Amino acid sequence: MSDHENRASRVLKQVRVAVAALRALGERWYATPVLWVCGFALLAVLPQALSVRVFGVGLGTIMSLQALILALLWATAAQSWNLVSGFAGQFSLGHAAFFGLGAYIPLVLASEFGVSPWLGLLAGAVVAAAYGLCLGGLTFRYDISGSYFVLVTLAFAELLFFLFVNVDAVGGASGVVKPLPDAYGARFGLVAFQFRERLPYYYVVLAFLAVVTLVSLVLQRSQTGLYLHAIRDDEDAARAVGIPTVRYKLFALGLSAFFTAWAGTFWAMYFPSIRPRVVFGVLVNIDIVLPAAIGGIGTVAGPIVGAFALEVISEAGRRAVDFPELQDVIGGVVLLVVVLKSPGGLVSLPGKATALLDRLTGERRSVWDRDSSRTKED
Amino acid sequence: MLGVLLGGIYAIVSVGLTVIFGVMDVVNIAHSAFVAVGMYTVWVVSRQGLSPFLGLPVAAVLLFVAGVAIQRSSIAPLIDERQSSRLLVTIAFSIVIIAAIEATFGPTPRNLDLDLGSIAVGGVYVIRGQLYALVVATVAFAGVWVFLHRTHTGRAIRGTADSRVNAAYAGVDVERIDALTFGLGAGLAGLAGGLVTFVQPFDPYLGNTYLTIAFVVVVLGGLGSIPGTAVGGLVVGLLHVFGSYYLPGTYYKVLILVVFVALLVFRPTGLFGGKSHE
Repeated sequence: MSDHENRASRVLKQVRVAVAALRALGERWYATPVLWVCGFALLAVLPQALSVRVFGVGLGTIMSLQALILALLWATAAQSWNLVSGFAGQFSLGHAAFFGLGAYIPLVLASEFGVSPWLGLLAGAVVAAAYGLCLGGLTFRYDISGSYFVLVTLAFAELLFFLFVNVDAVGGASGVVKPLPDAYGARFGLVAFQFRERLPYYYVVLAFLAVVTLVSLVLQRSQTGLYLHAIRDDEDAARAVGIPTVRYKLFALGLSAFFTAWAGTFWAMYFPSIRPRVVFGVLVNIDIVLPAAIGGIGTVAGPIVGAFALEVISEAGRRAVDFPELQDVIGGVVLLVVVLKSPGGLVSLPGKATALLDRLTGERRSVWDRDSSRTKED
Repeated sequence: MLGVLLGGIYAIVSVGLTVIFGVMDVVNIAHSAFVAVGMYTVWVVSRQGLSPFLGLPVAAVLLFVAGVAIQRSSIAPLIDERQSSRLLVTIAFSIVIIAAIEATFGPTPRNLDLDLGSIAVGGVYVIRGQLYALVVATVAFAGVWVFLHRTHTGRAIRGTADSRVNAAYAGVDVERIDALTFGLGAGLAGLAGGLVTFVQPFDPYLGNTYLTIAFVVVVLGGLGSIPGTAVGGLVVGLLHVFGSYYLPGTYYKVLILVVFVALLVFRPTGLFGGKSHE
């Protein structure tokens, strides 16, 4: 064996030892909370890092605060979508319905009745959840799933879109303008859910994402989460062992709708006005699905990773060439590549990398790898 | 009469969806993009000084080829995966194609510069271009029905729709059928898009507007049923006309979707439900 090959295999071995150490750490009980707290701490300091420059090149040159806020917003929506479509396997293409309800209700309540947006947030979420339960009640009762479920959810979202376009009381097609905080007796600040600067918005949406992520993590590890996964993998079998599948699917859909409305409320309070097309349109459905699909459907980290990947790529593209459609093209191409080449999403890549490493070093694949690369068969 | 006309358009827009949906269980979101490509193909042809009717076969053939290519490259590898991954692929193509059209032609609405005058049919004046569009749609519809029911390949397609495994055992090349079906669905979408240009002004997003209605038609008529799609289109067309006459604004669209939801509650298998692939 030549000296060169020897050195290569030695490096590989060392990498493998490091990976094994990381893996052992990952199996400790405290690994998940520590990892997530670190992750969110990182996100919390990210806006400050925008202005830091190293050798004249900073994060700020490829990212803006606006892009970060939008990434977190879509991550929140996708994380909520994931609760029913990832965990329970009921693929929805109609989450714009919940997003839009969450956007409209607080804004209308605030401008017409002077209700605080925070109460509006709750009201919007409750109404969205109720709408979700109606949808689920109609569809799950008849065992509608798969492609049919996709169609029905899309129809429910479009129904609201056409309704809000036509109801003049909520501004019709031109929508609603965000009221000033005076309209509901508050001043700019956290209480009013309105700020003069962008940075506080960032932390509000980060908090939203943290809540939804926490709920996802807890749900994933609970018995309910297990039941939802069972329903996703084989609904007939789940029913056969006595899981009330309809009830659990309804629960997942309601919860998902509840939190999707939060993202809608944030949208409404962040931008100066909302229009039906912007919050209920077909494209919103897709915007909600994309981050999860790219990051990894059914995983907790997936929607966040996907949202940031998308936003980073399209923001970089936006700065490189001034060409508005490019962003859409990039989103579509990234989605296509991920679905074709890595169906588990971006979060499945580390698992695949370590599996490759094991093969290179000639070790037998461990149980851990088989678990992480299993997604395709189920 | 207007209801029949609109119904014909809705039906022809939906038939491509129902073929793909019935055979491959793919919710083809890219359908709206295919329709949009059809529109602009006809428009480009008519800008060359040629008759826009010449654009119709061009659009159909172009999209047939594109459909086969997309199926071969991106959907065939995923045919054994979950249904959602195929859905995601069509979403990806939809985004890319519509963005490409927008980049090329701009977002402004276009109009086919066509004036053939009007003609009286049964006491009602109908714009000639629209009437011809209806005729073409009807012929295309009949053609698809004959193809699916009276030719060997058509039977193979319907057999695959009923059961992929059994069709494969009976000697049907299921993969070839898939490619052919997707091409057929895309080609029909292109033809439908071309016909839409005869009826109304269009922009790159018009396909999206039609998409939901097309899904309603598909479900209304029963999955994969060609006559069902025709009836579904007609029902939606009539709802459109009467809805827009009696209700203000675009409430008729709400009406269509409410009828759709009501149908789900009372007759979840569609009007022609039950044996869906006949």
